[in-house]
Amino acid sequence: MGAQAEVAAVEGGGRVAPRWIHPFQPFIETPLCLLALLLPPLRPAAPLSPAEPISQAYSLALYMQKNTSTLLQTYLQHQGSPFSDPGFSAPELQLSSLPPAAVSFKVWHALDDGERLSRAQEAFLALTQHLQLVGDDQSDLNPDSPILLAQLSAARLRAQGLLGNMAAIMAALGLPIPKEEDTLGLVPFGASAFERKCRGYVVTREYGHWTDRVVRDLALLKAKYPA
Amino acid sequence: MDVHLELRRPFQGLHSKRMRMTSGFRWLLATLPLLCLMSQVNGQKRGAPRELKCVTASFQVWDCSWKGHGTLYEVCIEDRSHSCYHLEKANIKIPALPPGDHVITITSLHEFGSSRSKFILSERNVSLIPETPEILNLSADFSTSTLSIKWNDKGSAIPHHSNVIWEIKVLRKKSMELVKLATHSTTLSGRDTFHHWNWTSDMPLECVSHYVRLRSYIDDPHFSGHKEWSDWSPLKNISEIADSPTKVFPQDRVVLVGSDITFCCVSKEKVLSAQIGQTVCPLIHLDGENVAIKIQNISASANSGTNVVFTTEDNIFGTVIFAGYPPDVPQKLNCETHDLREIICSWNPGRPTSLVGPRNTSYTLLESFSGKYVRFKRVEASTNESYQLFFQMLPSQEVYNFTLIAHNPLGWAETTLSVNITERVYPHTPTSFKVKDVNSTAVTLSWRLPGNFAKISLLCQIRINKPNSVQELRNVTIKGVESSSYLVLVDKLNPYTIYTFWIRCSTETFWKWSKWSSEKQHLTTEAIPSKGPDTWREWSSDGRNLIIYWKPLPISEANGKILSYNVSCSSEEGTQSLSEIPDPQHRAEMQLDGHGYIISVVARNSVGSSPPSRIASMEIPHDDLQVEQAVGMGRRILLTWRLDPKMTCDYVIKWCNTSRSEPCLMDWKKVPSTSNATVIESDQFRPGVRYNFFLYGCKNQGYQLLRSIIGYVEELAPTVAPNFTVEETSADSILVKWDDIPVEELRGFLRGYLFYFEKGERDASKMRGLESGRSDIKVKNITDLSQKTLRIADLQGKTSYHLVLRAYTDGGMGPEKSMYVVTKENSVGLIIAILIPVAVAVAVGVVTSILCYRKREWIKETFYPDIPNPENCKALQFQKSVCEGSSALKTLEMNPCTPNNVEVLETRSTIPKIEDTEIISPVAERAAERSDADPENHVVVSYCPPIIEEEIPNPAAEEAGGPAQVIYIDVQSMYQPQAKPEEGPDLDPVPAAGYKPQMRLPVNCAVSATAVEDDLGKTAGYRPQADVNTWNLVSPDSPRSTDSTSELEPEPLVIEPKHPPCSAFQKRAAADTVRRIHARRIPQQLFSVPL
Repeated sequence: MGAQAEVAAVEGGGRVAPRWIHPFQPFIETPLCLLALLLPPLRPAAPLSPAEPISQAYSLALYMQKNTSTLLQTYLQHQGSPFSDPGFSAPELQLSSLPPAAVSFKVWHALDDGERLSRAQEAFLALTQHLQLVGDDQSDLNPDSPILLAQLSAARLRAQGLLGNMAAIMAALGLPIPKEEDTLGLVPFGASAFERKCRGYVVTREYGHWTDRVVRDLALLKAKYPA
Repeated sequence: MDVHLELRRPFQGLHSKRMRMTSGFRWLLATLPLLCLMSQVNGQKRGAPRELKCVTASFQVWDCSWKGHGTLYEVCIEDRSHSCYHLEKANIKIPALPPGDHVITITSLHEFGSSRSKFILSERNVSLIPETPEILNLSADFSTSTLSIKWNDKGSAIPHHSNVIWEIKVLRKKSMELVKLATHSTTLSGRDTFHHWNWTSDMPLECVSHYVRLRSYIDDPHFSGHKEWSDWSPLKNISEIADSPTKVFPQDRVVLVGSDITFCCVSKEKVLSAQIGQTVCPLIHLDGENVAIKIQNISASANSGTNVVFTTEDNIFGTVIFAGYPPDVPQKLNCETHDLREIICSWNPGRPTSLVGPRNTSYTLLESFSGKYVRFKRVEASTNESYQLFFQMLPSQEVYNFTLIAHNPLGWAETTLSVNITERVYPHTPTSFKVKDVNSTAVTLSWRLPGNFAKISLLCQIRINKPNSVQELRNVTIKGVESSSYLVLVDKLNPYTIYTFWIRCSTETFWKWSKWSSEKQHLTTEAIPSKGPDTWREWSSDGRNLIIYWKPLPISEANGKILSYNVSCSSEEGTQSLSEIPDPQHRAEMQLDGHGYIISVVARNSVGSSPPSRIASMEIPHDDLQVEQAVGMGRRILLTWRLDPKMTCDYVIKWCNTSRSEPCLMDWKKVPSTSNATVIESDQFRPGVRYNFFLYGCKNQGYQLLRSIIGYVEELAPTVAPNFTVEETSADSILVKWDDIPVEELRGFLRGYLFYFEKGERDASKMRGLESGRSDIKVKNITDLSQKTLRIADLQGKTSYHLVLRAYTDGGMGPEKSMYVVTKENSVGLIIAILIPVAVAVAVGVVTSILCYRKREWIKETFYPDIPNPENCKALQFQKSVCEGSSALKTLEMNPCTPNNVEVLETRSTIPKIEDTEIISPVAERAAERSDADPENHVVVSYCPPIIEEEIPNPAAEEAGGPAQVIYIDVQSMYQPQAKPEEGPDLDPVPAAGYKPQMRLPVNCAVSATAVEDDLGKTAGYRPQADVNTWNLVSPDSPRSTDSTSELEPEPLVIEPKHPPCSAFQKRAAADTVRRIHARRIPQQLFSVPL
């Protein structure tokens, strides 16, 4: 995915700047609409200032942050007890394919901008793939719940949008953009229904944690590069 | 086993011992003597072979063994061929002996000699113990928790076909708890056969080890010996899964609602709790830390299944179970086709299965004749709506036998339907629906109906709507065509009419109508008018012009838009045509010089002219006709007449509102000459309006007026009351006169008048209704309409009467008009009323005078005795000088006390303050007081004519006469005037009136006041003014006096007559009374009618 964005970074010209939204070739049709709504296209002639993409990414992250708990609640409600029991929490459940968002403050603070962004980039890349997987799982388990499926789909599109924004920031900052990886690998297909439910829970939970973290990341960047 | 042991030594006892004793009493009895014998032998010789025991596993070889201490044995079997065997072991395998007892001699050789034992052996003594079986293979299907074992029955070793019973034991856990003991029967076939046995465990096999072993029992009916179970086979086991990524079993199982299921968890840590859904379950401990839970009667799951979760210290493990139902039998399976190309089968899934997604029910529609099928897999989750499958029709197949199979992980269900598809055609909605003109009464309809209908006939229905008419349905049968285009002729339509068409189709073998096509409006073309207009003529009032009227043709006869009319008039001299008259005009005027014309009117539309309608101008003179009356019902009126054979063409009734001026024509109606009655109906008719109806008969040369009728379609009550006046009144009668009511306000035929009268004043009786049947109301019904006056007799004199007059028609009573009349008073009674008090007063006076005169001496003595003059007193003369010297010694010096002044403290400014020092008589004083009070208005009426009081208040009269009608009476005339106003305060002293003392009190104020009051008390009709309570009383016979008092509210008036102190002569007298009078002026309704 990074190929085109890299080109943008190398060439540095505003001419290709809007192409950061394109890297997601498999999702090109639907995300385009959403991103077009969420983000006004960059002016081609504008110089590559990091402030604007940072601000846009920050707005999107804030917007996502508002919906993460709803997504998690909707998800849990559809999985039956004990998932749907009030106050359900299983922090012991983790996914090896998904980097955890939890990080000690010291470590986080010691990271430089590039590392921070690339970790978030990596995490959201994994999240988009996992959200797709969870969506597929749920269309088997809960085919009669369009609300849940729509929320999962929306979360995935937003994560993709955020990825695009972060790529633009990294391009503006002259940072290398990590290559797209298949983080899921061969994992999921034989999973049992319970595993799928747990997996979905971890994904929606980590989506929220990562969104919280990226809001902080971007707030820091925003302070550093004021408009 | 009967064994006879025979020793060569004499009396060496035989020893035999029963080795096994399982059953059989008979057998026991047979053994007893032998036992005795053997024990005897045993006692004598220890080294002899004993306890011969034979078993067999295969019927062919008997394996016999015995006990003995020999080193060599010789065994001889005495059967047909006496054979002996030399053995070194105490064991011999011999071929199975034929049935019957066989003597077996075993000679034991040992170092100190030999001993011989004799046994009798038969099959009955042989035990059948099958060979110990062996499980060749134990396998487990973990997904279904099924154990499966495989073993060989080794049937080739056994020649007989016998039944074998296998007993299989399943053990669980390391502690070998028995979980299943099963028997399994097979038959030996003479060959080695592998057998299988499956067992499904309630406990998932992954969590705990299971062990299996089996043994057998050959149940051979031919074998007479003892049959025994084989030994147990060696154990085979299936171990639990030690290291598996999943920890909880079973995973993702679909089960039937209500079934029992066990879940288990493979764990290395201690499992703390387990729950299904929200229910915590007790743990069943297995080997190690593995646990299980048992769920009974599981309930249906939600879409995402029911979660089963095992919780350890720091982890959770779980699985999901989907509890649901097998598919219901598909309901209401129905197959039909729209176009004979594709069959649509729809059905209702019935009871929900609670299973969704990949576990949802799948449907297969199978056609058994062709063997073709289509599958239905729901892509989108939907509600419990009906499902549909499309099946392509096969050429030349008409009968289809469908089977719909519903299948889900829990089971399947099916339903079948056999249809002849040509009888199940539900055509599409016809499209491209068009209408084309053929002529003014026919059109063609065309439409498209896609479908392969070439082999069948279509039945189509045309719905035809025309304005103001019921809708019409016409069925047509059309041969089906390949092209899908259809055309049909619709005739018998009316020209120039807007029709709305719809079409729908079915097949001749009716199944369902298609939906109606979209509507199509169409106006048929015009045709010539079918009739001439309905015509009438009237001569103008001067008789010189003939006005021709005609009615517009109804749309059904006009057959198009009427553009114009042609009017022509023909006589013997020739024909004269008027110019064309454009449509909206329906009237023409012609100047004709005489009668005998035939007028013809022709209506014309764009296609042509109507046949002419003719009418003769001539009016045939008629006899004098009596005006008749008729009343209709609703908006219609029925007229009848006698048939007149002279009337050849028709009858015409024309009518008109009577209030219109001549020539008046509202409408007319033509009736054929054969009818003698008609109902005339018109929207223009209004109830309560009088109409004139004229019936004309038609002869060849013209029309003759036959009858003239006035009528109402509906009579109403008059809107006004008759205007009536009182012509004359006397003491006991009233003469009333009234006027006619105008026709417009009568609104019906006048049927009479109702006259009510009752005694009563204006206010009292007004409240009560006249119709309430009160007995004090007298009613007179005047039905003689020519009567215009009425005398009411036998009335009481000087009484107010309430008179009411109303007119009525058949439509009801008109409003009432009422009037109040007071009859004149009776003069005789008046005279008596005056004379009696006067006579009484005179008589009292005369008697008093006579008495006083007769008793004057006594009166004088009593009241006025002589008092001796002290001056003549001689005894006092010597004191004269003393007396003269002091005036203080005088006695009884009388000082007359004369009030000389009265001061009015409060009064109206307009009224002059009056000072009066005269003593006047009470009566005169009262009159004077009143006249003073209202000098400018006072009217004295000694006699009053009857007063007629109108209901209508007359402000002018009130203004003028309000205070003026105060009437003062004298004591001599105690009657109130008859023209007494209603006004209450007539006896009011009138606010303006100053106070005048009623009398000039004598010098001795106290005494004289008392005296005067005494006098006053005796005077009829007068009350001293000092008495407030009686102040307002008027003469006792005033009919209104009490009423009036209640209305009286005297105006503040303070009167202070001043009495000078007795001891001093002062100009101003001190007040002895203070009085406040409130008076209010009451609006007066007084109206006198001069006679």
